[in-house]
Amino acid sequence: MELTRREFFKMTGAVLMVTTTYEFARQSPALAGEPEAGWKLVDVRETPTICCYCGCGCGAIVSVRDGELINIEGDPDHPINRGSLCAKGSAQFGLRSIYDPESGERMLNPNRLTKPMVRRPGSGSWEELSWEQAIDEISRRIKATRDANYEEVADGVTVNRCEAIASLGGAALDNEEGYVLQKLMRGLGVTFLEHQARVCHSSTVAGLGGTFGRGAMTNHFCDLKNADVVMAIGSNNAMNHPVTMEWVQEARAKGGKYIVVDPRFTRSAAVADIYAPLRSGTDIAFFGGLVNHIIENGLWQKEYVAQYTTASFLVSPDFAFDEATGLFSGWDDETQAYDPATWGYQIASEEPWDTSPTGPYAWTTKPGVPKFAPGVNKVAKTDPTMRDPDCVWQLLKRHYARYTPDMVSRVTGCPADKLAEVWDAFASSGKSEKSGTILYAMGQTQHTNGSENVRAMGVVQALLGNIGVAGGGINALRGESNVQGSTDVALLCHIVPGYMAAPVAAKHPTLQAWLESETPASGYWANKPKFLVSLLKEVYGDYATVKNDYAYGMLPKLNAENHTLIGMFEAMDKGVVKGMMLWGQNPAVSAPNADFARSAMSKLDWLVAVDLWETESAGFWKAPGVAAAAVQTEVFMLPAAVSYEKQGSVSNSGRWIQWRWKAIDPPGEARADLEIAHQLFKSLKEMYEAEGGPNREQITELHWPYESEGHADVTKVARGMNGYTVVDGKLIPNFPTLAADGSTACGLWIYAGYYANNEAPDDPAKQATGTRDRSVDPGDLGLYPMWTWAWPLNRRIIYNRASADINGRPWNPARTLVAWKGSAWKNNDVPDFVWKTVLPDGTEEMVPPNNKAFIMTSELSARLFSTSMKDGPFPEHYEPFESPVANLLNGCQADPALTFGSAASVKPGDAAQYPIVCTSFRLTEHWQSGSMTRNIPWLVEAIPRMFVMLSVELAAEKRIADGDWVKVFNNRGAVEMYALVTPRLKPFRVDGKTIHEIGMPWHWGYASGLATGAIANDLSPNVGDANTSIPEYKAFLVNVEKA
Amino acid sequence: MTQIAILYDSSKCVACKGCQVQCKQWNMLPSPLGKNVEEFSSSYQSMPDLNGDTRLIVTYDEAGTAGGVEWAFGRRSCFHCSEPACMAVCTGSAISQLPDGTVMQDKTKCVGCKYCMAACPFGTPQCRDSLGVADKCNLCSDRVAMGREPACVQTCPAGAMTFGPRDEMVAAGKKRVQALKAEGFGKAELYGETEMGGMHVLHVAKFGLEAHGLVRNPSQSDAVSLFDILKPLAGLSVAAVVGGLAVSFVTGIGYEKDELHAEGVTKEEEE
Repeated sequence: MELTRREFFKMTGAVLMVTTTYEFARQSPALAGEPEAGWKLVDVRETPTICCYCGCGCGAIVSVRDGELINIEGDPDHPINRGSLCAKGSAQFGLRSIYDPESGERMLNPNRLTKPMVRRPGSGSWEELSWEQAIDEISRRIKATRDANYEEVADGVTVNRCEAIASLGGAALDNEEGYVLQKLMRGLGVTFLEHQARVCHSSTVAGLGGTFGRGAMTNHFCDLKNADVVMAIGSNNAMNHPVTMEWVQEARAKGGKYIVVDPRFTRSAAVADIYAPLRSGTDIAFFGGLVNHIIENGLWQKEYVAQYTTASFLVSPDFAFDEATGLFSGWDDETQAYDPATWGYQIASEEPWDTSPTGPYAWTTKPGVPKFAPGVNKVAKTDPTMRDPDCVWQLLKRHYARYTPDMVSRVTGCPADKLAEVWDAFASSGKSEKSGTILYAMGQTQHTNGSENVRAMGVVQALLGNIGVAGGGINALRGESNVQGSTDVALLCHIVPGYMAAPVAAKHPTLQAWLESETPASGYWANKPKFLVSLLKEVYGDYATVKNDYAYGMLPKLNAENHTLIGMFEAMDKGVVKGMMLWGQNPAVSAPNADFARSAMSKLDWLVAVDLWETESAGFWKAPGVAAAAVQTEVFMLPAAVSYEKQGSVSNSGRWIQWRWKAIDPPGEARADLEIAHQLFKSLKEMYEAEGGPNREQITELHWPYESEGHADVTKVARGMNGYTVVDGKLIPNFPTLAADGSTACGLWIYAGYYANNEAPDDPAKQATGTRDRSVDPGDLGLYPMWTWAWPLNRRIIYNRASADINGRPWNPARTLVAWKGSAWKNNDVPDFVWKTVLPDGTEEMVPPNNKAFIMTSELSARLFSTSMKDGPFPEHYEPFESPVANLLNGCQADPALTFGSAASVKPGDAAQYPIVCTSFRLTEHWQSGSMTRNIPWLVEAIPRMFVMLSVELAAEKRIADGDWVKVFNNRGAVEMYALVTPRLKPFRVDGKTIHEIGMPWHWGYASGLATGAIANDLSPNVGDANTSIPEYKAFLVNVEKA
Repeated sequence: MTQIAILYDSSKCVACKGCQVQCKQWNMLPSPLGKNVEEFSSSYQSMPDLNGDTRLIVTYDEAGTAGGVEWAFGRRSCFHCSEPACMAVCTGSAISQLPDGTVMQDKTKCVGCKYCMAACPFGTPQCRDSLGVADKCNLCSDRVAMGREPACVQTCPAGAMTFGPRDEMVAAGKKRVQALKAEGFGKAELYGETEMGGMHVLHVAKFGLEAHGLVRNPSQSDAVSLFDILKPLAGLSVAAVVGGLAVSFVTGIGYEKDELHAEGVTKEEEE
């Protein structure tokens, strides 16, 4: 009999039980709790949870006995991590409990907040207050600030906004909490609504959305095992998403190659098959070179490119790119922006929507559907031979011809032979049966051209036929456990839930204007009116009727100001923002130009910080060099619950919406964020009902059926997000059932189906999000469709139509996602295309294969050329905002459309004074601003001190020895720390010149009882990407000297 | 009985320290609570060595080479020798060997003499100062007894550790070494197959033993002779402890060891 590993353990376990029985007569009290004294997990209640740190979504088991936390370890049944957890995940226990080094006794982590506190203006200390008092005082301040600064009408448009209150944070919150939070904030008219997604992956959404139609990771973690080539570029995945390595190693065991491209020789590089160094901020040069390499050597996947991309589409003959100026056609010097008129396609025909009773757009004429002009689909001209000089293929070829290996090597500092080795290895995935995937994170996103970095990867992957296939894709590795979800629920200024535009006064003054400008005439997004009307029905309930345009007027309308995170602190500095709420976010450490952010915070009238700990932000008035007495901001600090002290769902990077159950009550008076938001809402509603105020209905009419027994009920929020039919409250099964006539309500259309079981609305375990069946795995591809639920529609690999050829035959039969079998589709994954239609008599009919593989773009194809970007239809290399070298590829130094470049607070430095490139990075042992890890002794011990990484060569030049105390500085600040001198960082040869690069982790600050250190972001520039204003944390200029 | 072993593959390890932390989590070991008490280590290796509250650390050794860097990761903890020097010198019969090869250290029987620390050729047992007893990895025998993998093995996100019958682990380790050599890592070798009578923690050393800080040709005899030198000195400090714990020695079960002498020094078997 052959034993599986698990069976072996079971058998030896049974035998060893006898041999390891202990008799302990004399144990000291400190030893009584030791595992060896008996089975540690006797009589415990085990609760599954999802790790609170990065976006991998690893499962863990929380063991509790008699209300005491006993153990947290990896969940062996969880398909992503199969029992494993990295250093941070292994230390989740420490978020609540620690062991006393003296007695060995378990105790509550003394750094946890357990009571609401307030710091009165000018005071030097905190004082306790009750929850009732805290909620009442905070509501009072919110109301006063809102009422004094509210705008109902501006320039003749109903705007219903309050620019004086900012809300920041939410990536660590559960989906339901995030949804309620944005609803409450928009219900107050808040426009400065932001969170960590802005600064981590906003450029991903713009870049991927602009290329394929959706802004999310295309594949998922278990799928990495299916890759023939994995390229990590702009991601230190072994360090920051350690569980990915389990899957990368599975791919390698089958002969796959793992490539790491990074300025530093990282822990990922240490296990890579190929490592290539690349100067920070030169990714588009690298990808442009790869595009050129693919075209020059005929390595693209021919049929895929011809059928599923826009290669054959004809672009306006007026489109041009001028190498001398580095600008595309349409640039306006005055507005410092492009007019994209010349970027359009040549039109073959115009097809108005068929709104006849049997037509596909009959729904637009139903009673209750708001009035808007039906779309006219402008069908682009194509040249299937791809020879027309105006076709996208020819434009692409011409555009990247400049990106020769020699040029790319001169720009990036990567030796030409290394470039060739990497490009050959990765382009080998262009063979139709091969798959190559790209892993990336902040190294791509946090640049002034971050969105174009992401698009550049999209172009490469489309050329190689790697989108929609198992083992392929563009895998945005998200850094917080629910930053995908907090993006989905739109805790962001520019979107409402489900990736629809937040209304802008000038563009969307009315519902009709919004529908007409935001609804594309083709592609699945043509259904957008259904999603928006259903959202409004969820938000305003019965108050939203067709007569009042479904309360569209109540949504705050943005003015022309930039409301993203950088803009929020600019507005705070100017006195526009007067009160701020922080939800688990710590901008005093994490904001770019953090010293400026702290100084802006000192101008606030009030600040509310909801967190597990006293963060640098809650205690910004205690920062070194700040006189507390001079800071008049009133600060409320509210104790929150840890992930396993509450329940709710979280969406991992791979779009799996997993339920996280509650294992234990929060300590002391700590509360879940949902409960805090709920109590704030109730208090505010009461105040507005009693006292009135400008447009009070915005808050009093919010549909808020989320309470059970006096407290917030997360399952009721989940029902609203999933959606239901208004007449009977029945949960809807999926988003195709949504209607634009007010008959359905749905808070987040892409989640429709995650919580749809009408048999057990109170029980998340019986909902799709709560399912835990790993036994089902069609095709043995790691799809696990019965383990939780993935948006959209439980599709695990989006755009999966492209995994098969034009006739529906899988490119690689061993990796079948969908396959046309002559008369029907046979699918291992949920099809992401129109594969069947429902006839009027209710029967279903299969749709034979066609080339419409990307249903979320209006072209129904992957865009090699994109009109949705603000800095050009093709990604073009520009140097970072602060760079030590001139742009060799064109005449424009930095991205022409970057944001905040002229803000006085930025204080740019030039290369003469600050010749060294600096980048920031993260460590496995710590997380983000460090508040979640610098308060856990195990992790502090694992990496205790702030340092800067220097090359041996730079250290010699600056006479710095390993371990020296050094100063890193630029015009924005000066910070001191230890020097880590290492051969893992090498100077770059850039166009014949030596360029030094250094790196700093950004996990330290001044507010921890265990570990303090310099704030790296005091030096990073508060300039933003052209499309989403993500700050450029990953390449800026500094100098360094011995302190 | 089937011998068990952990196979640690340094070529797959990404040194995330999941094992280092999960070991402390499962075994309920504390870390210091003072502010900024840890020194900067000039490395991602945070502690210079194991300590009484730390049974496993991830080690980092780096060397610049012509082609770049050799960054050698390691897993430093008890090797669970077949011929454990620590057990040979243990005065309190606190150290024993399970039939599966696990070398157990029972803190309730430890008298704090520190002989094991001196005798171990790897220096893995450490003194847990707060309790005055030695401490080391027990291969999570409690978990193994319940059919689970050791905490470090289960938690490894890189798949760098496997646990199972020792002969299988040895075979897998040899195969990995061959594969690494074929990939161009000519110095790769397997550690623990024969050392100390065969160890129950095996290492695939990607860059050769020395690069990963592994002791070549460790021997028990060296260790025990070291012990002979230390014996008179250590015995003095042990005596006081023994007085207070006399009862424990009456019931303590020695393992291949003579009975305890009144002055608190074990008399080694004479062979």
